[in-house]
Amino acid sequence: MNTIYRTTYYTLYQATSDRCFYIDFGQKVVRISFCQLLAIRHKVLSISIEDHFDSEMNKHGLEVLQLCNKKHLFVLNTLEILDLKELMEQGFLHMGLSATPGVLSA
Amino acid sequence: MKDIARQGMSIKVESMDLLNSQIKMEAHASATYLAMASWCDQNGFFTSAKFFRKQSEEEREHMMKIFDFLIDAGGSPFSPEVTGINHDYASIVDVFESTLDHEIAVTKSIHNIVMKAREVGDIATERFLDWFVMEQVEEENTIRDILDMISVTGTEGVGLQVIDDHVGNWMD
Ligand SMILES: [Fe+2]
Ligand SMILES: [Fe+2]
Repeated sequence: MNTIYRTTYYTLYQATSDRCFYIDFGQKVVRISFCQLLAIRHKVLSISIEDHFDSEMNKHGLEVLQLCNKKHLFVLNTLEILDLKELMEQGFLHMGLSATPGVLSA
Repeated sequence: MKDIARQGMSIKVESMDLLNSQIKMEAHASATYLAMASWCDQNGFFTSAKFFRKQSEEEREHMMKIFDFLIDAGGSPFSPEVTGINHDYASIVDVFESTLDHEIAVTKSIHNIVMKAREVGDIATERFLDWFVMEQVEEENTIRDILDMISVTGTEGVGLQVIDDHVGNWMD
């Protein structure tokens, strides 16, 4: 397994022989296909961090994240979400599929 | 290191995000034209109603063209949420003027994706959008011509009915 990118809490790996990716979430390591990685990126980058600082929009500052067609469920706090956003942006940058750490447009 | 990600997708993620927004915009245009078809029908502009019904179908085809491109490129197209469709128009002129505004907004959006694709070196996306760039020139021209016809005809007397009949000239 090759490390693509590592943030404070998470690591994205590429497993060349299996033609897939792994994300180490700390509590568990999740195996993901490329399509699932695209889906995770979309979900994570779509999360509005501003809402975490608005008690009306997001009372507890938590996000419930369902990944890989409901196979995994994570409850993440603001810092973890920011970290995961960084993993997605920098991960795609390091894989050469992104030229700029871009924000997902609505 | 073998590049599994590059093997998975032929375009840049920035392009994919923008094309997904464009899918939404085309879907919004399709729904807007359907609302216009409804308005025209209810207000006695039956030819214009057919015109907008057809426009609505064309916008959906545009959306599917982008959807298919994203699939072909190994990307992940998203089915759009479409909300906030306006059903209120002051007049038939208002309908066509809104249409032109809408088409201009779409043109700007397409141009923006072309520029962005160029910036990130995504030649496939840039080439794919060639068709859309030319399609927008044509669509804007059609609506401009209809608006010209409306101002020549005038809305007095039987003007409105003449306008509606003439709209038929722009249906294929
Ligand atoms: Fe269109
Ligand atoms: Fe159009």
